[in-house]
Amino acid sequence: MKRKDKIINLNIIKRSALEGLMLVVVAALALEASSLVQYYFSQKGIHKEAAMRAQAQLEAARGRISDVINQTESAVHNSEWIAEWCLEVPDSIPRVSQRLVEDNPVTVGSTVALVPGYISRLPLYSPYVYRDGSDSLIFRSLATEEYDYPSQEWFTKPLETGKGYWSEPYVDEGGGEMLMVTYSVPIYDKKGLPAAVLTADISLDWLKELIQGTRVYPNASNILISREGRFMVSPRGDAALETTVNEVVGQQDDSMSFKKLNQSMLSGESGSMQLEFRGQKSHVFFSPVDRTGWSMCIIVPDSDIFGSIRRIGFIVLLLQVLGLGMIILILSSFARKQLQYKKLNENKQRMEGELHIARGIQMSMVPKTFPPFPKRNDLDMSAAIIPAKEVGGDLYDFYIRDEKLFFCIGDVSGKGVPASLVMAVTRTTFRTVSAHESDPQSIVSQMNDTLAEMNENNMFVTFFCGVLDLVTGHLSYCNAGHNPPMILTDRIQELPVDSNLPLGVLHGMSYSGQETDLHYDDALFLYTDGLNEAENAEHEQFGMERVEAVLHGHRSAQDHLKNIEMKVKEFVGDAPQSDDLTLLFVHYLAKEGETGVNRRLVLTNDIHEISRLAEFVEGIAEEKNLSPEVAMNVNLAIEEAVTNVILYAYPPGTQGEVEIRATVDDHALRFTLCDEGQPFDPTAAPEVDTNQGFAQRRIGGLGIHLVRTIMDTVRYEWKDGKNLLTMIKNI
Amino acid sequence: MEVIINKTDNEVVARLVGRLDTPASLDIAPDVQALVEEAGKTIILDCEEMSYISSSGLRIFLTLRKAAAEKGGRIIVRSIRDEIRGVFMMTGFLNLFEIQ
Repeated sequence: MKRKDKIINLNIIKRSALEGLMLVVVAALALEASSLVQYYFSQKGIHKEAAMRAQAQLEAARGRISDVINQTESAVHNSEWIAEWCLEVPDSIPRVSQRLVEDNPVTVGSTVALVPGYISRLPLYSPYVYRDGSDSLIFRSLATEEYDYPSQEWFTKPLETGKGYWSEPYVDEGGGEMLMVTYSVPIYDKKGLPAAVLTADISLDWLKELIQGTRVYPNASNILISREGRFMVSPRGDAALETTVNEVVGQQDDSMSFKKLNQSMLSGESGSMQLEFRGQKSHVFFSPVDRTGWSMCIIVPDSDIFGSIRRIGFIVLLLQVLGLGMIILILSSFARKQLQYKKLNENKQRMEGELHIARGIQMSMVPKTFPPFPKRNDLDMSAAIIPAKEVGGDLYDFYIRDEKLFFCIGDVSGKGVPASLVMAVTRTTFRTVSAHESDPQSIVSQMNDTLAEMNENNMFVTFFCGVLDLVTGHLSYCNAGHNPPMILTDRIQELPVDSNLPLGVLHGMSYSGQETDLHYDDALFLYTDGLNEAENAEHEQFGMERVEAVLHGHRSAQDHLKNIEMKVKEFVGDAPQSDDLTLLFVHYLAKEGETGVNRRLVLTNDIHEISRLAEFVEGIAEEKNLSPEVAMNVNLAIEEAVTNVILYAYPPGTQGEVEIRATVDDHALRFTLCDEGQPFDPTAAPEVDTNQGFAQRRIGGLGIHLVRTIMDTVRYEWKDGKNLLTMIKNI
Repeated sequence: MEVIINKTDNEVVARLVGRLDTPASLDIAPDVQALVEEAGKTIILDCEEMSYISSSGLRIFLTLRKAAAEKGGRIIVRSIRDEIRGVFMMTGFLNLFEIQ
């Protein structure tokens, strides 16, 4: 893949990762927002509920207090007329108080205090009746000098105002340290003169219980203050009335709020506010108590009110964070996997691309244009490689040199890229060695040495090499451990092959060559074991019987291969191809003496025989309608070759012959010179430098130069004690 | 093959008639010898009627060229046919001779 594509891909991945992250963030925000809204409304609701609960408690306390106040007030008012009446009978005055205390359980004490001097014989008179712990009533006089009741507020206030008066709460020193409060009313005589004050004392100990006993929240503090700002019930449970709120306010961190609270309470307002109390953010609810001027408040720490919701909020938050964390984890791992997958995919694509290129390179090494020699009518060939993986270790190659077909097929051990590299090396070695060597035995031996030398990975190649003389049909071949090719004559059979080691196994190994002759319409079929060992889904092999069977019938080389490929495909079905499959079909079609003009001329080693040769060649040229120039050139080349034999093949004074065979078809003129003289290869003569000046020019060598220049193929062979020189001119 | 030689004071014209193949080259050896002796002059080889030449024939041309160079003469190849010109070309002889 190109680098640019890679960057784009990475960008896409980054972008998608970013999108994923954004998604998570948005989801988190939405979740948090909804939680916050929920939290806000919950808090509001809880706050409302707390206010209601506090209000309810305040109401309840107020109700209880009002009850007591009312009871006390009505008890006192109900006793007014008796007190009035008793003014006439002063001795009965204590009875008023006694009855009041006896009839009213909340009243712990009572007195009728006479206005000093109203009854002259009793200048100060205030018999006090009270209940002690044992429910029995005790009488005591308050008209003592130390006490000086006429100066006490409970005495003076009602007389000043003419109304009932509730005293500030106080601690009774005489009886049991009780918190008390006194209600006093003025008593007027029948003339309407102020005569006395009637009082009823009530204990406020129950108040403490009432106020502190029930708490709306576990850490709530209930406070009751008097109208002068004294603690009747303090949060600490301090002795009542010892401290004023003002004193305490100064000690508070949040004194401003407390001052405000104090003012609000003292002025009899009701409501709620927030302040810091004992280091905790708290809500305070306050409400006045009717008629008494008292005010009650409840301080509740926020942690009590909102504790649960905060706990729940915290848990929800924790869960959300955990959930988001998990989402992020899942997303990131997903993204990572995606990335890995994409990388893997990229790698795979790159590998596939490279393998594809490798296959292209590999295929460009072997001839793959079919038919390969369209102009030739003496040969029909076709070949195919079907690699199991993208590149394979099979090879074939063929080419024609000097009218000989050099062909080979091979199978490198292993598969894939390593095998394909060895394949490439093998093919190159074949071309290099066979360029100057025409004997398959030598070709294979030299290839083996070359491959064995550089074989560090112990790979080997099974190899078959054949050289087919297209003029004579003579086939020489050498098999290095490869499957024996099939030879198709009047019957189909395996070509007999010697057992030789594959190439690359052992350096210096000698290989044995073999020969046979092909005739018109004979064919060779070469293949690799990918054919006979092709397996179907049932692991059954294609086998040699099927190989033989598919070769029956008369087809062109290409159709033969197509047919074989189809049959193998049919057989294998859906099973994966397990090995490379390579096929090579060589169909020999040279018809001797049928279509070509075949002539033969035998000359003795007399130079004057040359004129006969001229006639012979001119006859052919005329028949083929060759241009005078071509005719002359061919004549010249043949003459030069024949002259050479006549002059030099036989020792002087001995008689010898030279046979000239001509085979002519529409494409070429073939001349073969045959003599039994001394072995001499004119093609081995050094090339003449035609650019030299005359002074350097040697007299000899021009003849063979002309032969080489004029003819398209010149080939020499020493065979069966004869010099064979083949010259071909394409027309 | 026939070689018809016409001599004047300054030049020798040799008409080559027929096929100059290998046997002919051997046959005309005396004529060639005669021409070599005249190599100090200008020798004109008239090839108008020469229909063929083999390497042996070319060798004769080369022998004359070398002799002329030795004796300060000059070789002119005249009226060469196209087929023969082709052979001269193949062998590089076109550059060795003065061709008219």
